[in-house]
Amino acid sequence: MERSADYKASGGKLVRIRLTEEAGHIRSVRITGDFFLIPEESIGKLEKMLEDTPLREQEIRLLVNRFYSATQAQGAGVTPEDFVKALLSTREV
Amino acid sequence: MNLAVEEAIPRMVGEGKAPSTVRFWHNSNTIVIGCFQSAKLEVNMQACKETGTEIVRRFTGGGAVYHDSGNLNYAISLPKGHRLVPDHNLQSVFQRLSEGAVEGLRRLGVKAEFQPVNDIQVDGKKVSGAAGSIRWNSVFHHGCILVNSDLSILGKVLNVPRAKLEDRHVASVQKRVTTVRDELGRDISTREVADAIVGGIESCYEVRVESGVLMKEEVGLAEELYQTKYSRLEWNLEP
Repeated sequence: MERSADYKASGGKLVRIRLTEEAGHIRSVRITGDFFLIPEESIGKLEKMLEDTPLREQEIRLLVNRFYSATQAQGAGVTPEDFVKALLSTREV
Repeated sequence: MNLAVEEAIPRMVGEGKAPSTVRFWHNSNTIVIGCFQSAKLEVNMQACKETGTEIVRRFTGGGAVYHDSGNLNYAISLPKGHRLVPDHNLQSVFQRLSEGAVEGLRRLGVKAEFQPVNDIQVDGKKVSGAAGSIRWNSVFHHGCILVNSDLSILGKVLNVPRAKLEDRHVASVQKRVTTVRDELGRDISTREVADAIVGGIESCYEVRVESGVLMKEEVGLAEELYQTKYSRLEWNLEP
């Protein structure tokens, strides 16, 4: 099932999620938007890490936090929690 | 080619082969999208075709901006650890390295203020957006100043998502931006604005800016980046 959401982050930036879900799990996901994240290439790593993750709050938050610790990624206009909320908001549409 | 030069300079500065650099440039009708953006979602492709507007992606994040000859771009490249931005925090980079442009605009009589995350605004309307990165052992910041830009085309070629406009209580992208010309109520050249920004940079950062041209190595690297990256559809339009 294709799911999508445009989520306005607390810093004012937009996080746009387009994902494919199967049996409650993320099969693939694309995260785009006008936020800042360095290193820039790390967004691909986050997308890859999210594959096969259950689309549930606890698992998503754990994974996003693990991504930030592993990559030392730094955002501007977007927080780790914004990515969590953006991903979860695809369930509401 | 302009965006290839934009990447070549901080790479050379980070390698210690070029000095700290301020660059001014402009493009004819072009939409420049942020590196995380989807061209398909952000850009009205049909309007771009009709208006002869090109679409290119930059290596920094942030939102799409419309460039024309009435638009002035400035870029600051510093070696990592430079005294102006010692803490490697991207938000601090935006704030600190926008100050020169803010001061330059104020010298012209524009009531410019930095507005986090990355904007320069006049009475709540955006006159410049910035983007930047910390990579290649350098700190990079660039901004795009609307001097005499054609705001009517801007409103047509960019798709601004409803979610972005809702909290600002305005109906369109065109109504939440302004130009230096409109703020001053007179015609002004991009050259005059660039000169004012150089003055702002010199006074804010206590530096001396000397005019110069690109080094041979910078041109060579830019040409390579253009061939391998910035001229390619897979970089500019995907995802």
